[in-house]
Amino acid sequence: MACRLARLFVSFALVGTLAGCATYSDSFDNIQRDLSARQHDAALQEIEKQAGSKTDHVLYLLNKGMVLRMKGDFVDSNQSLESAKEEMDSLYAASISENALSFLINDATVSYAGDDYEQVLVHLYMALNYLELGNQTDARVEALQVDIKLREIGENIPDSKFTEDAFSRYLTGLIYEESGEWSDAMIAYRKAYEAYKKYQVNFGMAIPDMLKHDLIRLAQRQGLKNEAAQYMKEFGIEILQEKKPEQESELVYILNNGLAPIKREHVVSMWAPPPVVVVSKSGKKSSNVTPMPVLVNIALPYYESRPNIVLNARISVFGKQTDSQLMEDVDAIARASLDARMPAITARSIARAVAKGAIQKSVDNAGSGNNDVGAQLISSLVVRVAAAATERADTRSWLTLPSNIQMARLPLSPGSYDIKVELLGADGQTVATRVYPGVEITKAHKTYLSQHWIPDYQITRRKR
Amino acid sequence: MTWTLPKIRTSMLMVLVLLFAAAGCSTEVTRMDPGEVKDLSGAWNDTDSQQVSEEMIKDVLDRSWLGEFTRSKKRQPSVIVGEVSNLSHEHINVNTFVSDMERALINSDKVVFVASSTERQEVRDERMDQDLNASEATRKAMGQETGADFMLKGTINTIIDASGKTQVRFYQVDLTLISLVDNRKVWVGQKKIKKLVERSNLRF
Repeated sequence: MACRLARLFVSFALVGTLAGCATYSDSFDNIQRDLSARQHDAALQEIEKQAGSKTDHVLYLLNKGMVLRMKGDFVDSNQSLESAKEEMDSLYAASISENALSFLINDATVSYAGDDYEQVLVHLYMALNYLELGNQTDARVEALQVDIKLREIGENIPDSKFTEDAFSRYLTGLIYEESGEWSDAMIAYRKAYEAYKKYQVNFGMAIPDMLKHDLIRLAQRQGLKNEAAQYMKEFGIEILQEKKPEQESELVYILNNGLAPIKREHVVSMWAPPPVVVVSKSGKKSSNVTPMPVLVNIALPYYESRPNIVLNARISVFGKQTDSQLMEDVDAIARASLDARMPAITARSIARAVAKGAIQKSVDNAGSGNNDVGAQLISSLVVRVAAAATERADTRSWLTLPSNIQMARLPLSPGSYDIKVELLGADGQTVATRVYPGVEITKAHKTYLSQHWIPDYQITRRKR
Repeated sequence: MTWTLPKIRTSMLMVLVLLFAAAGCSTEVTRMDPGEVKDLSGAWNDTDSQQVSEEMIKDVLDRSWLGEFTRSKKRQPSVIVGEVSNLSHEHINVNTFVSDMERALINSDKVVFVASSTERQEVRDERMDQDLNASEATRKAMGQETGADFMLKGTINTIIDASGKTQVRFYQVDLTLISLVDNRKVWVGQKKIKKLVERSNLRF
């Protein structure tokens, strides 16, 4: 019997090491520090350490792609994000072995395929990469893929808060419009408008003014007079039809502000009477002994926002200036997504606690035939510790995403400009200034410029 | 719920065995014939590209524009490859079937191809360099390029219909040959490819 128990213990210990001691989000502190210091190469080296993980490989690729684009390496960034996309696709099928394991150990044993909003944002960032490279054709490909992805999500979970990604829809509208596909652009803007109305209800977000103007302008251009009039009434703005609705050259600035919230773990441990388990045959023997309580451990994830002092950005060129507007609140979307998943996560955790309790109980019972009370006690304790240690929350998420995405558009005549970006905090105070010299604005084209602002984080992780 | 110790132990061991089995896969390479059809993800692949080029080549050489041109001008038509724009939902490399077509048409001895606008620049740079550095006998003069009679242009479009794990992908490739003299479209080739992709719900 001792031999059996030893083997059981060894298998638990092995599985324990596989599950790792720290949760995923704990491994991110160094990367975050490097990113705050704009040490992109150091951050990449740190990310490279996670390349070997089979279950977190998608996250490794996503983070790598994101840091590469912060560095301005859009081609390699797209390569990494494209692989992430392919891998997400191959993880569409649920793994039997991983799920079986997750029932005994924890949720982090299942390969991470990305949350719905993360799967959409991959396309968004790939599109932005292509746009910043000036590759309109491939950006359009991403726009089409976003549409397919959103249709798939909408079909699978129609009552979720996140079935439409407003900013992705808006950006696809901009892409279509630049390609001269007016009707596709109109549809994309309409869908963006519908999605922003949902954002307004769910996340308290305002509908961006840019979208309002685009809707009216394009409706007028397409001869949809009633629709244009209706929008003008809804938004309370009056726009006279421009004589030349042709593309004007403009600067599109995108601020990736801060970092997305991070999942932390909340553990509840308690001693509970053992679950009612019928232990075959040997059950009678132990019936007159008071059963030893089992250790029930429930570890659940929760989101912790990463604080940021920058509220928005002001871009100024040649005396012209404009402020950025909030386009996508990734923080709120991530929270809503976890909230929606929480009942399932909790149910799985409870089911696991019952299973682990049953294992503890059966080890106790198996040991009760043994005359050596000490050995019995040790084995009972060992199995309790193993059960508790393997119960960890799944704290995985795409951590290099921004907390929110903002956009500013500024019409400019063709030429080369020095663009000054001021990041503003509370009361309009300037937190940081950056100048982008010699940005080329070409005729009848949108020039995209993006920045990812990551503040200095005080790493205040609570040690367990 | 009924649990017995031996049962649990066996299941634990099985889980471990499964785990190690999954970790122990190594890379395996098998050589394939380029003509062999192997569909992996359902995305645009080499087979699609080859099917398009075969179809297009057969069609473009059979049509009347070629005979008419050779009869009236008493020479082979020269063609330039313009842009084949990708309007599909995939990042498709259009160069593969365009160069397949180019090769087949040149080898048929019925059509002459001239270098495209991107290729041209490199050739011109070389001629410029020859002007300075090459000997009189081997130097190539400028202004002797063959002007194209026709331009080959095209698009790739897709329509995707998906429901759950099933997806129908429809690809349509259109190629047009436009006469540079009068913008006449002398030939339009079309190839349609339809695929049913069914994803698995479960994997090991």
